[in-house]
Amino acid sequence: MPEALLRLDRVSRNFGGLQAVTDCSFDVFEGRITGLIGPNGAGKTTVTNLIAGEMRPSGGRILLHGRDITGWSAHAVARAGIARTFQLARELGGLTVMENLLLAPYPQKGESLWLAILQPPAVRAQEEELKDRARTLLERLQLAHLRNEPAQNLSGGQKKLLEIARAMMTRPRLLLMDEPTAGVNPALIDQLVTYIRVLRDELGVSLLIIEHNLDVVEALCEDVIVMAAGSVLARGTMAQLRQNPAVVDAYLGGGGSEYAAL
Amino acid sequence: MTYLASLLPLAAIYGILVIGLNMQYGVTGILNFTYITFVAIGAYVTGVLTMGAPANAQTYILGAHLPFLLALVLGGLAAAALGTVVSFTVLRRLRSDYLAIVTIGAGQIVYTIIGNETGVFNGWNGIFGIPVPVPMSLSPVMQQLAFGLITILILAVVLFAAQRIQYSPLGRVLRAIRDDEGVTEAYGRDTFRMKLLAFLIGCFVAGIGGGLLGEYATAYAPSAFLPGETFILWAALLIGGVANNWGALLGAIIVPIGFAEVTRFLPDFGNPTLIESLRGVAIGLLIILAPAFLPHGLVRERLAKDRARSRATAPTEEETSNA
Amino acid sequence: MSILMLSIGFGLVTASVLAIAGVGLSLQFGVTNFVNFAYGDYATLGAYVALVANEHGVNMYASMLIAGVVVAVFAALVNRLVFRYFIDKRVKLVILLVVTIGVSLVIEYSLQSIFGAQFQSYTVTSPTPMQIGPFLLTSGQLAIIGIAVLCMAGVHLLLSRTRVGKAMRAMSDNPALAEASGIDTRRITDLTWLVVGFLAGIAGVVLAMNTSTFTPLLGTFFLMLLFAVVILGGIGKPYGAMLGALVIGLVTEVSGAYINAAYQDAIAFLIMIVLLMLRPQGLFSSRGRA
Repeated sequence: MPEALLRLDRVSRNFGGLQAVTDCSFDVFEGRITGLIGPNGAGKTTVTNLIAGEMRPSGGRILLHGRDITGWSAHAVARAGIARTFQLARELGGLTVMENLLLAPYPQKGESLWLAILQPPAVRAQEEELKDRARTLLERLQLAHLRNEPAQNLSGGQKKLLEIARAMMTRPRLLLMDEPTAGVNPALIDQLVTYIRVLRDELGVSLLIIEHNLDVVEALCEDVIVMAAGSVLARGTMAQLRQNPAVVDAYLGGGGSEYAAL
Repeated sequence: MTYLASLLPLAAIYGILVIGLNMQYGVTGILNFTYITFVAIGAYVTGVLTMGAPANAQTYILGAHLPFLLALVLGGLAAAALGTVVSFTVLRRLRSDYLAIVTIGAGQIVYTIIGNETGVFNGWNGIFGIPVPVPMSLSPVMQQLAFGLITILILAVVLFAAQRIQYSPLGRVLRAIRDDEGVTEAYGRDTFRMKLLAFLIGCFVAGIGGGLLGEYATAYAPSAFLPGETFILWAALLIGGVANNWGALLGAIIVPIGFAEVTRFLPDFGNPTLIESLRGVAIGLLIILAPAFLPHGLVRERLAKDRARSRATAPTEEETSNA
Repeated sequence: MSILMLSIGFGLVTASVLAIAGVGLSLQFGVTNFVNFAYGDYATLGAYVALVANEHGVNMYASMLIAGVVVAVFAALVNRLVFRYFIDKRVKLVILLVVTIGVSLVIEYSLQSIFGAQFQSYTVTSPTPMQIGPFLLTSGQLAIIGIAVLCMAGVHLLLSRTRVGKAMRAMSDNPALAEASGIDTRRITDLTWLVVGFLAGIAGVVLAMNTSTFTPLLGTFFLMLLFAVVILGGIGKPYGAMLGALVIGLVTEVSGAYINAAYQDAIAFLIMIVLLMLRPQGLFSSRGRA
């Protein structure tokens, strides 16, 4: 059993009286696309927020390649190699598409005050290099013609692509994706699936994806974790999970029509 | 001619002040409803540092007879130091109204302290007799022009630095923080530290502008930094153009200068404070109408465009069009 | 007659003035969800309306009522003509705040252009202080306390017994739910401004009575104290504002008696700032960070 890239060890989180995540433990392995599914309110988004450092767990530990990152701030977690995309696309509206991508890599020399004012050759060189990478990415995602457009002017689908492009610029070790296909029209879903595979195959990114669209989960994820009522219910491939009565039960009990496929 | 000569330094000074405010609000999205307090600190500190020991029935600290430029920089640093103290209130992720209240409250506290502690900056009467930083051997007109030249040079430096910052990777991060702080953090940036940096830069510039203002007026008193004064600068920024330093300059000319000077030509009528009151009403109306008719101000933010042709694709028509 | 008791007495008067306005501000903030930086100037407007009435021989209490009504209408108009435009346009909160500042400046300087910047006062006889228990208060000050109690009672009845009042509370607690339950939010907002304006007008007159002389800047400094009151009590919690008024009123007067009186307001601001950073929901509220 290879060492886990990410390990959650009995993580819990409560909000006042509400126990959103209870005694949640799972491993995410390197080089895989892992799915995280479950009914609404199961705690999937909370778990993602805990991993990403948006909030502290009330209990338990989070380990990244053996390193304890529990309670680290969001920017520290990001620097350690964990990136995320958001369910509702959060583009930086006042920046151009190109600038959105240029923001992604960290660190950048030009962000310190004196280097920003003086802009010596080293800073310009890094800018050019990043711009080249960004241009190539934008072409690949067929967004190049929009590169000087303020990001707020993009359509919903284009904003989703922008999220993925930004993730590609970052090249994190682990990418958390919160419902990447939510609200996306079916034609675009195929594209997104392709790009997610590109992230793993070409850029070496491991992924943990929250999804409600089980077709997408089946197509992408070798490994699927099921959460319900704040903790892990089961784990396996989609085929295995379909045979699992507890899983079937949890969904038929609380899910919507998208679970009818189960 | 003398009239224009006296206007020039004032325009440059207000330009500097609005550029500083732009760095805080336009670029980074920080709300500072007590910007004028930092201007005041700059004016006071630069003023007392250039003056000698207290005389003429004034009492103040730091009478050190320092050379002008040194005193100016120290004034800016003093403003930035106050900014550090105030920052831990301003930079939290509070909603806008709470931030506004906190900043105004902090400014009120400073105002009260400076007014009451007469030993610091001569209390409510303020300091006067600040020496002009130009050779006394020149004629009054030449003195004005010389001082105007100094202010314009300093404005040029400030403008250059502000532009460089805004159109650098640092500026990109600051604008990203303005648009969505959470996302920017998710990309590994320590947003608190960067907001603090932008805030302190703005305070430093405010202090520099304040120091020049004090030298220009040769006096400074608490009545010059009532809370309402901040909003003249806000009006200038909102009208001139948010997130655009040239817009900031335009706003500085239109609002503080434009207003002060337009009323100069009106004859005195009614009770003595009538002109000043009408000016206040006009500024208020301007603040209400500007966001309605000019949501981005007169000069919009200029976004950096990528002009390079990529290797693979041919140029498209978008590359020749401007937003 | 100890200093402590005297200052507590004055504190009660100050608290009364703060309570009338504070309850209004808290209610308005709760229902409309933004701070009106011109609120202090609404009070100033009330003070000047009463001045005009008073100079025409109308007795003080009637003048107060007239002031209340005028400011109520004014507040509702400003909301309709100015605030609504920006709210419907969904501008950023900052812009709306700056607009309220604009309204504040317009009111202040309009008053100044009409009445000048000099100190004004009402023509009332200077009453002698009477001893009421351990306190030393004039009849005017007692009247202020009485008026405050009346206003608090009125607000309480409004919020607890009337449908409009309950709708206001609903909008304050959960705007989305209130809208979904069929409450006509625009109408309730209009009514809220009427009530709030009325309270501001009364508060302005009472404040002017308490400070004996006033200028067009009366309301601006007062507003900062009001923020302290409202934040202490919790935004949108008028009952909390009543308690907040008591605390701020007493703290400022008592501390002013023992340390430099010039700093008594600064202390209130300091309390407010500290509170906003540590517990933005107020001392008495259970609602989380807004």
